[in-house]
This record gives sequence, C-alpha cells and structure tokens, in this order.
Amino acid sequence: MNEKFSAIRKGLLEFLVLQIIAAEKVYVADILKQLSATEFATQEGTLYPMLSRMRREGLLDYEWKESEAGPPRKYYELTAKGREQLRETLEYWNHINGTVKKLGQK
Amino acid sequence: MNKVITINLGGNAYQLEEGGYDALRAYLESAAAQLQGNPDRDEILSDIERAIAEKFRALLATHKTVVVTKEVAAVLAEMGPIEVESDEAAGASASDARAGGAGGQSRTSEERTAGSSGMPRRLYRIQEGAMIAGVCNGIAAYLNVDPTLVRIAFVLLTFVWGTGLLVYVVMAILVPEAKSPEEKAAASGFPATAQEFIRRAGEGYYRAMKGFPDRKARREWQRQFKREMRTHADQWRYNWQSYWTEHVPMHPGMGFTLPFLSLLQGAATILWICAIISLLATGTVFGLVLPANVPVWVGALLLLIAYGVLVAPLKIARRACYWNLGRARWAWSFVYLMDAVVWLVVVAVLLWLAFHYLPELRDAIHSFPAIAHQAADDIRAWWHGR
Repeated sequence: MNEKFSAIRKGLLEFLVLQIIAAEKVYVADILKQLSATEFATQEGTLYPMLSRMRREGLLDYEWKESEAGPPRKYYELTAKGREQLRETLEYWNHINGTVKKLGQK
Repeated sequence: MNKVITINLGGNAYQLEEGGYDALRAYLESAAAQLQGNPDRDEILSDIERAIAEKFRALLATHKTVVVTKEVAAVLAEMGPIEVESDEAAGASASDARAGGAGGQSRTSEERTAGSSGMPRRLYRIQEGAMIAGVCNGIAAYLNVDPTLVRIAFVLLTFVWGTGLLVYVVMAILVPEAKSPEEKAAASGFPATAQEFIRRAGEGYYRAMKGFPDRKARREWQRQFKREMRTHADQWRYNWQSYWTEHVPMHPGMGFTLPFLSLLQGAATILWICAIISLLATGTVFGLVLPANVPVWVGALLLLIAYGVLVAPLKIARRACYWNLGRARWAWSFVYLMDAVVWLVVVAVLLWLAFHYLPELRDAIHSFPAIAHQAADDIRAWWHGR
C-alpha cells in the first residue's frame, strides 16, 4: 500500500479509538479486534502508549475489572473532555471531507 | 529437553522455555528503552506485561503448563514493537503542537524502528541447547535455520577428508561464546545478511530462468551447458596429463615434495577458514576492517577469490606431482600414503590442541556416547516432524 497513506492512518487512529470507546466500555483486546477488520489494524505495542497519553490528556479514564481468564483488565471510558474532543473531531472531519470533495471541481 | 524458567507476569506465575524467556526479556528491555522519558513508562510496561500474560494464559491448558519458545515469539510478534509518538519523548513540543492545531486535530507520529531490528548479526557460539561447544547452534542462529540441519551438514562434511571435524575444532577455538545479553541478541539479531544474500541470489537466478520461452527449452539449455562444461574439463585434464607424462622427466623427489605441498595447502585452508570466521564474528580479517559500506558477504566472496588465487599454484604443483609419479605403479600407493599421513598428523595436532585448550571439547569427548544418542534422537525427531 502507498506509504503516504500510513501517515494519514496514524493521524486518524486516535480519532477512531475515541469513537470505539465512546460506544461502550472496552478493554484493549476489544479495541484491537474492532480495528483488526479494517485498514487501521494495529498492535498492543502501539496502542498502550497511545492510550496512556490520552488518559494523561484527560480524554479517557479506566476502571479495573476482574477477568476469569488471567489478570484483571482495564476497561476504558471517555471523560467529558474526551466526548467533547470526539464531537469536535467529527465536525472537523466532515468539514475536511467537504473541502476535499469541493476543491478542484470546476 | 529444554530448561524451563518460571516468571511472574502481572501477578501470576508462568513457565517459559529458556529461549522464550530470553526473547521476552529482550522485548521488555527494548520496550523500557523506547519509553525512556515517558511519564507513564512504568504503567505502560505493566499494561504490556499483563497483555502478554493474558495471551500466555490462552495458550495453556491443564496438561500444557509450559509456554515454548516458538509460542513466545508468536505472542511478541503479535504485540508488535513499542511505538512512541515522536513529540511524546520531546515533552515540551507537545504543548506547541496542541496550541497550533485546530481543535481535535490528531498528531501524526514519525516512524521509529523499535528494538533490535536493524542490528547487525554476529557469529557467536551459543551454549544454550548446545551439544558440544555450541558451534552448530551459533551458525544456525546466524543463518536462521534449524540447528539439526547444521549438525547434519557437519557430520556429512566430516566424511569428506574430515573437513567437518577440522572446521568444527577451528571454530570452537576461534568463535567467541555469546555471554552477555547483547551478544546473545546479536547472535540471532533480526536481519540476516546471509539469508538476504541467498534470497537475492535465488531471485536473480529465477529471473534469468524466466527469460526462456518454456520449461523444456530451459531444461535443454541447462543440460547442454553442463555437458559442455564437463567436456571442457575432461579435455583440459587429459591434455595436461599427457603433457606432463611426455615432457617432464620422472623424479622421485616429487614424491617427497608432495606431502609438503599438501601441508601448505592445508595450512592455507585453515588460514582461510580462520579469516572467514573472523570476518563473520568481528567484521575484521586479522585486524583489517572492511569499509563501512561493504556488506559482509562481499568480504567473504573476496576472501574466497583470494583463497582460490593463493591455492591455485599449490594445486597445480600437487597435480603435477601426482601425474609425474603416476607413471610408475608403485609410486601411486606411496604418494597417497604420504599424503594421508601428513593430513592425519595435521588433524591430530589440531585435535590435541583443542583437547588441551578447550574444556568443552574434553567434556564432550567424555560424554560422547550420550551425545551420539541425543543426536540420533534429534535427527529422528526432525525426520518425523518435517
């Protein structure tokens, strides 16, 4: 695949993670599974540092839950700030989308 | 049989094979290095440990209690390298990016190669899982193939004038043992120059072969090429032989020179093997450093050519002695005997040196029956498990 697309995908990953977490409380394996079917498929090595940064920025929070299959898991949810950020991003995304379609149309 | 190491991951105990343990430790060490300066470093590391623990848990069952090396490698590949956004490490620049960007803009991150990919491979002896001194094990790690295959190759080579044994002893003395974790990582580092070289050579060959209209034409060409080469070689040898038998007077002195020529050639061979090993192990040939942009395999190729040039006159002289004496029946057996005796002496001296300066080899000779049994089992297992 084109190398230039990989920069675009990387930039959008945070947005998509916000969207996935907004829908329901999830833990990392759920996020990976949902992404794996798309062109945004990623790995724990990328996701964990990113989630911890987003939490530091106050976009999301987590709570511990016991699991039958191994150690306890972190379930992530959005904070009010995260929800606001997602709304803004969606708006901005639609705006860009319009620009991309509109430019060079004449 | 493999050693098992018990580790604590996310509060639970897991049993790993030693190779797997080394791989896991290398992964976590490289993760910690990548996250240097990240305020959440410890938290991310424990997140990663828990994720690995969960994957291990999924692999285990009531009668499968050990995670084998291959499974650890698969889990680590699934985890992927730790990727940190470039402005993450810089810290201060993060706020700039936020201030400048419109609301909700995601930051792009630069590609960063993580961990040990791109690390040059070095030839080491590897003691873990070794049979004698770890030479085959080290070569297998260097070439990224099954150690059993390398062992079989050595055994086969031993039948060719004892070459396998000779090379093994020389390598056991000269190749350093991988002791520190860095050395162990370098012994099986990711990109194999040799493997890449073989792959490229194969690719070139197949591209050339594709130039033929069909398979039949290709086969026909190959057959003809081989036939021609053979005829040429035969012709040449024949001409040469008759030249010597006709023009050079027979001289008994040549029978005595021959073993010394053999000795010289043997010395040159050993020197060459030492040079190759030194090149692979340290990147230098007897203190001579290769220029930075010359890959190791080019160096090896140059050594091969140099060896050919050096040994060619010796070979010719030896041939000449053989053919010259060949006219007299009795001389043949004498010449062969002398030649064989000299070779045996060289091998014996090398073995004696190895026996005295290499405790591993001494131990190995004492435990040879056990090793032979295990080798037989290994080969059988490999044969059935193919």
